[in-house]
Amino acid sequence: MIDATTKNAIEIKDLTKRFADVTAVDSLSINVTSGSIFGFLGPNGSGKSTVIRMLCGLLLPTSGTATVNGFDVIKEPESVKQSIGYMNQAFSLYKDLTVDENMTFFGRIYGLQGERLEARKNAVTDLVGIRGYLDRRSGQLSGGWKQRLALAVALIHEPQIVFLDEPTAGIDPVARRDLWDLLFELADAGKTLFVTTHYMDEAERCSDIAYIYMSKLMVHGTPNELKAIDEVTPEGLKRVSVASSQPSHALSALKSQSFTKDATLVEAEVHLLLPEETPDATIVSALKDKGVEDATVRPVEASLEDVFVSLTRKLEKR
Amino acid sequence: MKGLLSGFTAIAAKEFLHMKRDPATIVIALFIPMLQLVLLGYALNFDVKHVKTAVVDLSRTSESRTYIQGLNNTQNLDIVSYLPSPDQAELALRRAEVSVAVIIPPDFDRHFGTSQPPTVQVYVDGSDGQVARPAITAFAGPPGAARSGGVQARYSVLYNPQIRTQVYTIPALVCVLLQLITVSLTSFSLVREREQGTLDQLMVSPVGRLGLTLGKLAPYSVLGMIELFVVLALGCTIFDISIAGNVLLLALFAVPFIMAGLSVGLLISTIAQNQAQALQLTMLTVMPSILLSGYISPRDTLPGALYLLSEFIPVTHFIAISRGIVVRGAGFTDLLPSALALCGLSVVLITAATLRFRKSGA
Repeated sequence: MIDATTKNAIEIKDLTKRFADVTAVDSLSINVTSGSIFGFLGPNGSGKSTVIRMLCGLLLPTSGTATVNGFDVIKEPESVKQSIGYMNQAFSLYKDLTVDENMTFFGRIYGLQGERLEARKNAVTDLVGIRGYLDRRSGQLSGGWKQRLALAVALIHEPQIVFLDEPTAGIDPVARRDLWDLLFELADAGKTLFVTTHYMDEAERCSDIAYIYMSKLMVHGTPNELKAIDEVTPEGLKRVSVASSQPSHALSALKSQSFTKDATLVEAEVHLLLPEETPDATIVSALKDKGVEDATVRPVEASLEDVFVSLTRKLEKR
Repeated sequence: MKGLLSGFTAIAAKEFLHMKRDPATIVIALFIPMLQLVLLGYALNFDVKHVKTAVVDLSRTSESRTYIQGLNNTQNLDIVSYLPSPDQAELALRRAEVSVAVIIPPDFDRHFGTSQPPTVQVYVDGSDGQVARPAITAFAGPPGAARSGGVQARYSVLYNPQIRTQVYTIPALVCVLLQLITVSLTSFSLVREREQGTLDQLMVSPVGRLGLTLGKLAPYSVLGMIELFVVLALGCTIFDISIAGNVLLLALFAVPFIMAGLSVGLLISTIAQNQAQALQLTMLTVMPSILLSGYISPRDTLPGALYLLSEFIPVTHFIAISRGIVVRGAGFTDLLPSALALCGLSVVLITAATLRFRKSGA
């Protein structure tokens, strides 16, 4: 049974998966705290999906162990499956069934029936707010509503952990924000959410983040912990933001400067990594020489994107 | 003209690349005609010889033995059993163990050299005209060994006296069509789930493998059963065929046949990656089974290996059952061997589909 006092919803120890001669996941060890929104990040092909498939009891690890809700994924895959919810990046419900029929089907698959099934359907219907669409064929819903339905289905059997594999891929910004509001609500209610995403603003919303690259765990911590790690802003360097009326021109001008270690455009400003001792005036005058007259400089902290870009570049150089 | 042909080389080159990237399709496309050639070459044999024949020798004299030997030497008939009584011979005919029965009367030897030539009674099973016609020719045709020594054969065709083609083709055609429907119904269902991603959603749930397999089969088997009777009723009405046996018995024996067909479909859908491959594999399995099942030409004409193979094809047994019930009025015990074979095949196929499903899902 699910132990309410279990501190870690998921415990992963030395988890490894090899396919023939390819190592897809290389001795991964992470704990996921109960009630957290755990952001699982990494480039495509880094092994994220393989980890999720192992945690969901779909794929046997080559070595190592993992427990989900206290159930061993190798020894008790069926108990794992009963205790988790799963929401895929692609809409993976029956398009020719109505919203209501999809919920009924998956509820029954998880062993719900009668009044209990009705009660759960009502609960998740209200949670995601899809009551107005119950009789609509799910294939006719818009992207955002499809994802809400997928979340409702993932929650129908009251799982303690929900795996969300790129839940917001391909939906509009408003629907994206609504879905995240729902996720916060769920986390407040004590559910553990295991989320993969490529959106940095979504990563910022997670309570914990793990970043995997080339089958290995690179970093793990809260967003603020990650921004503070040494490799991101190495000793002797600082990060500043340069605002001007000609941002793209300013970017190319700054990229050619000898003091520039890294430069990128963020929200119409140039984010710059450069030696700590470089005065702001040097940047402003360098830009003036290139015809950018109105530049202003302010210090800025590393973003999560900076964290992942600098970690990935550093590893690629090896 | 330039406008009409523009892009021709680019399209052709792109299509060639598609072919290169999907070698499975090419292999199947090349393999199907080769298989068809071999199967059609061997299986489409309308020169029916060696018709299975039973002899009831009530005379037991040297004359009758010489006559029997003469029958066997014709190559048209194969004496496969000696039976003690005409009743036994009729049972063997109803069970399709033999297609011809020759009854030699007790006074057979006494008629030699008299004004009344010796006469034998011949029963021919009319439930497969392709067997019945050459069998009759062997006795009634112009001089042949079967008439040697001035022996007259009085033949009667049982079950389908006029040897009307539809009487024996329609009951078999119904089986073939039912097979086509059952295999294709399910072969698309799992592939569609894989293509739509719903298979993943099912796999992360605690649904049981057998629950999934049987749950998929159940609704389609109801559809298959309805299909069987609608098509059979239509066929019998249009072609004026009266069903000699018990229709409920046909329904009972249709259950394992429908399950077997649906399981073949499921098995295909665990192998095929997309709907096009599912269609190809369906054709690949359905087509040989039509050729080997005895629907097009009698199974007795098949060479040994193919004959053995045809025993493992569900529709072979169901055609035997269907013709048995519809044409010959065969009963439960008459058809039990075919029914048991069908049950065995369907259990094996359901098991195989369930096991394959576990693998393909992981």
